[in-house]
Amino acid sequence: MSYQMYRKTTLGNTLQESLDDLITMNQITPNLALKVLQQFDRAINSALSQRVRNRTNFKGHLNTYRFCDNVWTFVLDDVEFKDAMIENGNIERLKIVACDAKSSQGGKYLF
Amino acid sequence: MDSVNSPFNANIYGTQSLFSPMAVTTSGQSNLSHGPLTPSVPTPGAPTPVAVATPVVATPSAATPMPPTPQIPSVPAHSINASTPQLSVAPATPATPAVESSGIRPQLQNIVCTVSLGVKLDLKKIALKARNAEYNPKRFAAVIMRIRDPRTTALIFSSGKMVCTGAKSEDSAKLAARKYARIIQKLGFEAKFLDFKIQNMVGSCDVRFPIRLEGLVLTHQQFSSYEPELFPGLIYRMVKPRIVLLIFVSGKVVLTGNLKLFYYAESIKFLVCVYRGESP
Repeated sequence: MSYQMYRKTTLGNTLQESLDDLITMNQITPNLALKVLQQFDRAINSALSQRVRNRTNFKGHLNTYRFCDNVWTFVLDDVEFKDAMIENGNIERLKIVACDAKSSQGGKYLF
Repeated sequence: MDSVNSPFNANIYGTQSLFSPMAVTTSGQSNLSHGPLTPSVPTPGAPTPVAVATPVVATPSAATPMPPTPQIPSVPAHSINASTPQLSVAPATPATPAVESSGIRPQLQNIVCTVSLGVKLDLKKIALKARNAEYNPKRFAAVIMRIRDPRTTALIFSSGKMVCTGAKSEDSAKLAARKYARIIQKLGFEAKFLDFKIQNMVGSCDVRFPIRLEGLVLTHQQFSSYEPELFPGLIYRMVKPRIVLLIFVSGKVVLTGNLKLFYYAESIKFLVCVYRGESP
């Protein structure tokens, strides 16, 4: 069972919307949609851990942290991305959810 | 005479005379040098409390017999009388002008206190809802929570007991503990604030003169342990007040124990006395 947190990404959201459309049009069964989503979880986890080489550096002020159920949550204020394509300078607030990469392969970061 | 003039016997709370041999030499010598000229030499059998001793001698006449004249300008007026033998008790000692001008006051570095919230707690709920909390039951069976002001860390146990560390003063320790209790309360627990107790305090100070630890361990074997191969500091276990001092050659001193600030000051005075008795 892979992490399901990437379902909230743009990619995951659009996939879910499309699947919903297909279900309402009776083109696929809800069961199949679920299978697709599970495949998506596996695929994105392995892709992020193995295929992605991009890195980004950022710096900010830690506002809040939390560690519970082996998940770190950080809220950063005034975050500056060093080398990124973010236009409007600093980001006011950034939430990082970090899971253990070993317990399930490929859990990376979700912004 | 011995007991009266020994620096620690002079205090009001009945400290044991741990080191009367040293103190006797100190006071004896100074008595010789100043003789009856100094008005403040205490009469035997009339132990003067340390604090009260200072104003007694604050007359200009007391300054006249003082031998080290060059020192006078640097010395604040109130401590001129420190040259009188009996006042060797006070931190303002004539032998060490540096100490005199500063008046050693130990800095509190850490306070550990405990309090009971009087209610069983669901730690997982706390960790999920509160900010700046860590809960890893595999490692440690408590939620570790921090606040920024006063900058402290609390360990919160499911029994409702809490340990709060890191405060720099007694007041801020209590304030911090109350803040944690309030956080727990806001999360929906019926938290109370019972049995607040300061468990330990750590202070540090600098007496600003080097200390010969070898000499100190010889004269105070009973209380000291000094193993330079294990640890560079001398560990002095004072009996009353019951605190432990780590004394370093550099003159830096670390004090631990559960005690009032007053006691800290006393133990530093003590240290100065020990030093002076040891190498006049």
